[in-house]
Amino acid sequence: MHKVIERILNLLAFLLTVGRPVTADQIRTTVAGYGQATDDAFHRMFERDKDLLRRLGIPLELAPTDGWQVEHGYVVDPENYALPDPGLTDDERAALWLAAEVVRVGGQVAAPDALFKLGGAPMTASGEPLAASLTEGSADLGTAFSAIAERRHLLFGYRDRPRRVDPYGLVHRRGHWYLVGAENEVVKVFRMDKASQVGAGDDPDAFARPVGFRASEFIPETPWEAGAEDMVARVRFDHAMAWWARRQIGNRGSLIEAADGGIEAVIPVANPEAFIGWLLSFDDNAELLDPPELRQRLVDRVRVGK
Amino acid sequence: MTSPKTAKRLNRILAMLPWVIANSGASVDEVCERFGYSRRDLAADLDLVFVCGLPGYGPGDLMVAYIDEDEVVVELADYFANPVRLTPPEALSLLAAGMALMSTGQAPEALESAVAKLQKVVLGADDDALVVDLAEPPFVAELRNAAAGGNVVRMVYTALATGSTSDREVEPWVVFTTLGNWYVRGYCRSAEAERVFRVDRIRELATTGDTFESLPRPSDPEIGYTPSEEDVRAVIRLGENARWVAEYYPVETVAEDGEGLTVRFSASDPSVVARLLLRLGRSAELLEGAEVEESLAEMRTRVLARYGAHP
Repeated sequence: MHKVIERILNLLAFLLTVGRPVTADQIRTTVAGYGQATDDAFHRMFERDKDLLRRLGIPLELAPTDGWQVEHGYVVDPENYALPDPGLTDDERAALWLAAEVVRVGGQVAAPDALFKLGGAPMTASGEPLAASLTEGSADLGTAFSAIAERRHLLFGYRDRPRRVDPYGLVHRRGHWYLVGAENEVVKVFRMDKASQVGAGDDPDAFARPVGFRASEFIPETPWEAGAEDMVARVRFDHAMAWWARRQIGNRGSLIEAADGGIEAVIPVANPEAFIGWLLSFDDNAELLDPPELRQRLVDRVRVGK
Repeated sequence: MTSPKTAKRLNRILAMLPWVIANSGASVDEVCERFGYSRRDLAADLDLVFVCGLPGYGPGDLMVAYIDEDEVVVELADYFANPVRLTPPEALSLLAAGMALMSTGQAPEALESAVAKLQKVVLGADDDALVVDLAEPPFVAELRNAAAGGNVVRMVYTALATGSTSDREVEPWVVFTTLGNWYVRGYCRSAEAERVFRVDRIRELATTGDTFESLPRPSDPEIGYTPSEEDVRAVIRLGENARWVAEYYPVETVAEDGEGLTVRFSASDPSVVARLLLRLGRSAELLEGAEVEESLAEMRTRVLARYGAHP
């Protein structure tokens, strides 16, 4: 392992100081650690080393070595390499360490690697157990996140269609990561775990993010608010399940307490299918009273499969 | 691909060097504590750095790195004076973890300022570009305190699957959230066994005044479900719109194709599966499971009767 690390430290020291793009051949003949290799061995080694540098977050780029653009070389811009200093105090670093210990962001990197870059922190085990796991997050979250920060288009497949979105924000709510962004100038919400082949566009600053945009306002709190329809339902919940209905509806509807301990609720509904699904989880302890067409849809759903 | 161990080691070296350069005179203990080093590993990494540097590779080209008495010395390494920028997944995981803890109201003040500073560096002036919202049902804070203090709680708990309500005494070990729901795991004195409860199904909660010895560090919680002999089993065909079921329930996938998947489902009570099928309507179909079928038929009859509709 130490041979690899020595070679990479030499390579990186060279790239950070040389001040111009250098070709693979120049690297091979200049940097200690590559000299003895055969052509094949060198190329394999160099590919692995480039991959490692990029995984660590080092901006290794290709650039033309001269004005004619016939030859390309590798370059690491020292300014782009360096972490802009956020100016954290030791208390702040320790707080981040604790947060990273008790919250797992699914599928993401181990916290110490990131925290080391910020200057490390006394890593005494906090003794706190894991408090939250933010889903089996996809590796695509990182791609979406950097696209938001760098104003790159985000390209992905969603419901059998390729999409090109101006990404404005990532929101974690109710156990899912949602991407909020504009497709053809219409703001839409996408579930990240349902997006496939996620990639960022080549150009940074490809769009302007609306000033003061609030991504969280586009994510509904309940499944039946996630839709385009606009209706109001009146539902009777019996005594046995009234506590559960009250808790789920919260302040998203108006409730009237009945003398027998049940409740009658008036609830705005944007997604009737999801609403019916939710009501059916109450078994026969709930009855959809109005509107009649929604009531009929519920009855039809229950009859299916008979 | 180079091994993750090599990547970790290199990452730590490239983070440690700038810190030592910026804090000259730093002691071995300080560096070890900050970067999680043992003294031996730190010495080994400094030895590596000592033989690296710029082309020429003579004295004056190589970096200088060693331990002098108790001080860590790094010289001639100015090109490594800055730490490497965070990768997007690194920035995301730190920020999201911080925001998640803040949304539960347990965050120390230092976390709020840390997240604000980090956010500014990573996302600039974009407010609300990353939002983590872990909405808590009632009793999460109470349970957390009870777990921390080793206090036994009494809860009125309704298992929504079966509709049964019970009064239980529980020693809460850990409160956690995953897949959008909050859970408490602990020892249920009433059942005399370890149990996991969904916090939003707890209707009433109070401490009993009794205490228990809290675990030094409970293992990472999982909402595992172990099928037992008495379980009912069913085979279900899930259409495209019902695929999510496979993520939320402990199912075994039997077959999968472009139009959906077939899963084997076990549950402690047939009504669990029946209620799910009722919800799913057309997007799921029961292929095997006589008990579930019976339970589903009863459920349909009950609901339709409520609506005065014919089956």
